[in-house]
Amino acid sequence: MALRDVSVLFRTPWIIITRGLAFVIQLFVFAYLISGLILVPGLNFFQYYAVGSVVATIASISFVIGYDIFEEAEEGVLDYLLTLPISRRQFIIGRALGGALRAIIYIIPMFLVVAFIEGFAQPLSILSALLSLFLLAFGVTGMSITVAVSVKSANRFDVVLALLELAVSRGSTALYPIAFMPLYVSVFAPFSPVSFAADSARASLVGFSLDLPAIAGLVAFVVVFLGLGAAFYFRRLEGGIYS
Amino acid sequence: MITFDNAGKRFGNLDAVKDFSITIKDGEILGLLGPNGAGKTTLMLMMGTVYRPTSGTISVNGYDVVKQPNEVRKLIGIAFQDPRVDGILSASDVLNWHLKMTTLFDKVERRRRVEDVLKSLDLWEARKKRTWLMSGGMKKKVEDAKILVQRPSIAVFDEPTAFLDVPSRLLVWKMIRQLRDEGSTVIVATNMMDEAERLSERVAIVNKGRLVASETPEQLKGTVKGGEVLELTLNDGSEFKADLLREFPEVHDVKQQDNKIMVFLNSGTLLLPKIVDTLSTRGFKIESVRLKEVSLEDVFLTYTGQRLE
Ligand SMILES: Nc1ncnc2c1ncn2[C@@H]1O[C@H](COP(=O)(O)OP(=O)(O)O)[C@@H](O)[C@H]1O
Ligand SMILES: [Mg+2]
Repeated sequence: MALRDVSVLFRTPWIIITRGLAFVIQLFVFAYLISGLILVPGLNFFQYYAVGSVVATIASISFVIGYDIFEEAEEGVLDYLLTLPISRRQFIIGRALGGALRAIIYIIPMFLVVAFIEGFAQPLSILSALLSLFLLAFGVTGMSITVAVSVKSANRFDVVLALLELAVSRGSTALYPIAFMPLYVSVFAPFSPVSFAADSARASLVGFSLDLPAIAGLVAFVVVFLGLGAAFYFRRLEGGIYS
Repeated sequence: MITFDNAGKRFGNLDAVKDFSITIKDGEILGLLGPNGAGKTTLMLMMGTVYRPTSGTISVNGYDVVKQPNEVRKLIGIAFQDPRVDGILSASDVLNWHLKMTTLFDKVERRRRVEDVLKSLDLWEARKKRTWLMSGGMKKKVEDAKILVQRPSIAVFDEPTAFLDVPSRLLVWKMIRQLRDEGSTVIVATNMMDEAERLSERVAIVNKGRLVASETPEQLKGTVKGGEVLELTLNDGSEFKADLLREFPEVHDVKQQDNKIMVFLNSGTLLLPKIVDTLSTRGFKIESVRLKEVSLEDVFLTYTGQRLE
């Protein structure tokens, strides 16, 4: 099931390429401009921003699986998938895993570029940073599935997902340190899963250390949304999703 | 063995299926015959664990569809009414993926089976074509092929020959029969009389979510009294009264749809002149007369009060 979602990615390779290019351009032009403006003692903003961009990107990409699932439900492909001999638990974990793997594969080229820019400490730091990214992707995927199955109309679905995406990625420490945020954002930002991922990825890459509270936060995020996703998913489906 | 015990499914305030009870024996071909909206698809999707019944129980080989869905899924394969195939995949990819998910066959065995089924369904030439480029009929054949290649112990086909041309229909019927001959239990939903009559050993007539009758086609025909039907077309049926003909003892029932009168009777050849006479003297103009044996269509009419086509 997970493989199916991953293979979807390879059917449209041009998306990876164009998005990758766009990312590099944005990273260098924008970050360079901004890092000239924001001067924080002891903080290299370019490095900060580079890691953050990767994290923010993976968060938005992981939302895509929700659109896939919503579409499948509308086209009835879900009905078919549900008759296959797979348990519901395997099914939802497979889907979320597929979505997360897909996002990770997609992000790896950018991630490696950034890791080199940061001058990563050792191979392990790459792994542990990837782990944070993966957890984030897994959780966001779960969240996206939850929304996909709890919202009825396609329009509302688009709006809700876009808002969530905005809230989760902008309201986080991925791109800017808390000090630069408006007050109302800075209150929530420390609790955003994207912040957890960004902070722990930075901790791993820039000088190898593990940001344990952040990782714990990520794991909690994953568990909550996979659980919610699964619960909503099957209640909706078995009652008949389209009317 | 599949048992529906007072099964029901409500969508909002609509009873798509209500108080439905039937037992489907191993190795039989059961036809579910009913008009659009009768509840056939809902019945099948409940059996296939996609929808949860809102009342009653359904069990498949002793496994409850709600409590042991995983066991049920291992037994059943459903060919959907609207093809559920990933448009970007080719026919052979669709079938290969389906086999990968539903069976333990290795790659070689999968390829062999996919090739076999594509060839028998006349899809081999088009095996590499992406399914979204296919015509409705071809897509439908790919959908049927999923189950024909899987050979599940319970095979469900939801209107398997809708949109198919005549040669393809015959082909699909033949392959469905072969599937049964190899031991599968087969359930076919249809709104086509000929399909129900030619394919199924037992026909369950479904109307408005309820089971109306279930017998072999022959037994069903036997339930229509008289065994013969006289079809009369009048040029104006608005003044016609059924009682005019009911006074003949050989006439068992009279049904009317606009200008068309159906008289269920026996000894039709003897009675025909008398009926024509009666109608003529009352001033009705008869446009056509047809006397025939009772067909499944007539059975359907007597049970549901409506015609299918
Ligand atoms: N998912 C659903 N949500 C709401 N109503 C449905 C759903 N599926 C079917 N129905 C309704 O249930 C009734 C039976 O439909 P269906 O089982 O598709 O009939 P059939 O297959 O015999 O044509 C119809 O009135 C249909 O509109
Ligand atoms: Mg149907």
